[in-house]
Amino acid sequence: MIVFEDVHFGFNSKKVIDGISFEAAFYEKIAVLGGSGEGKTTLLKLILGLLRPDRGRILIDGRDITTLKESELVEVRKNFSIVFQEGALFDSMTVKDNVAFCLREFTSLSEEEIQQRVRELLRRVGIEEAEDLMPEELSGGMQRRVAIARSLAACEPKMILYDEPTTGLDPLTADTICGLINELSSGDPPNRRGLIIVTHKVTDATKVAERFMYLRNGRIAFDGDLQALRATQDEELKRFINEIL
Amino acid sequence: MRDLLLGLQEFYLLCIRATVGICRRPFYLRETIDQMDYAGAGSLFIVALVSLFIGMALSLQVAAELSTLGLKMYTGRVVGMAIIRELGPVATALVFAGRVGSGMTSELGSMVLGHQVDVLRVFGLDPVKRLVVPRLLSALVMLPVLTIVGDLIAIMGGYYIVVAVSHQSGSFYWSQIKDMLDFKNVFSGTVKPFIFGYIIACISCFMGLKTTGGARGLRRATTTAVVLSMVMIIVTDFLLTRILFYLLGMRV
Repeated sequence: MIVFEDVHFGFNSKKVIDGISFEAAFYEKIAVLGGSGEGKTTLLKLILGLLRPDRGRILIDGRDITTLKESELVEVRKNFSIVFQEGALFDSMTVKDNVAFCLREFTSLSEEEIQQRVRELLRRVGIEEAEDLMPEELSGGMQRRVAIARSLAACEPKMILYDEPTTGLDPLTADTICGLINELSSGDPPNRRGLIIVTHKVTDATKVAERFMYLRNGRIAFDGDLQALRATQDEELKRFINEIL
Repeated sequence: MRDLLLGLQEFYLLCIRATVGICRRPFYLRETIDQMDYAGAGSLFIVALVSLFIGMALSLQVAAELSTLGLKMYTGRVVGMAIIRELGPVATALVFAGRVGSGMTSELGSMVLGHQVDVLRVFGLDPVKRLVVPRLLSALVMLPVLTIVGDLIAIMGGYYIVVAVSHQSGSFYWSQIKDMLDFKNVFSGTVKPFIFGYIIACISCFMGLKTTGGARGLRRATTTAVVLSMVMIIVTDFLLTRILFYLLGMRV
């Protein structure tokens, strides 16, 4: 369970998150919508403890992570995996080594077992042929698929966080990524892996999420399901989601 | 002022964590060897080139000045002392800061901007241990090695000028160089690059990990790291020289 209690966060004097409160179960499929600079990525980083709020509490499974030390956050972060915009692949490593990274760091698997697991994961995301390529040789869509494979290799996260996973991709590739995201969070609640997707592409959000939040001026201006989203009377939000109305 | 103090506090914390990290598991051997290869083998040619011309220029200047005093035969002694104690360590460190230090900052900075450092943290890895310690180790090992190689090449450059231009005895030049290779001079010449390596790696990694603001921020971080490293090398060189003079009982 993720609980935000009146969380505030700013960079220097600029307020980015201005008193956000919400609760979310690990099995939920949530889309965080909003324009550029509205604090969507910051929200993901706050959930992971990569940033500390200026004020308020963030509880993960009942533990207030705002007071935890970096070493104590390791356990909390095991609940999650994240796929950053552009993939954030280690550019000095091949695709294969990127996916194998966590297996080598945290498991005692033999090299042969690691290679087998890496091939499985790459097959699962549909790019087994790219295993020897370097990240700069991959297209945007392939980079994100590798990032998804790497995030799955890390552990079996309860929830995957996606930061703009379809931004900058052509519609077909974006559709493939959405399909992959859905596949990784398939099943019925509560026995499924949840997701939080941060995006400004409303159509893509509706393909993967069941609950929608809209951020405006650092606050949650809307929180509800697709039906409520379509029925919103908020003029600005209506313009934002125009493509699905 | 408050930001400066906070920055200094963070810098010292990073230095302490990186220093402690050298002795603590896990050890990233492959990463460390990669960094040593980049810092050492990758800088060898430029260090050799710079050292060669410094040695030749110094030898020319010294020979010309000493010849007016009728002491031209002591060119080797002055060149040897200047290179081993001062010019060798400082010049190599400045080249190292420009080539390797800037590389450390820009690489770590782009990893920060590309969220790769965040990914490491999400995976439960300590970026200082994984990224800073191998770079610090490579600087601690490779800068002294490069300095020794650079000194040797500078002295050989001086030898060429002494023999081919100044028409002095080569064997006398080498005998004076040999005289200069006593404990005090060698110790003084090898302690300095070790400390310079520590300073360059810590400043460069700190600036890299603190990068914000996209391409412009990366440019600012890299420039600041190189300039700060160079200033610190020059200032520390003076302080170290004073300390070493005192410790080794050398008189002015």
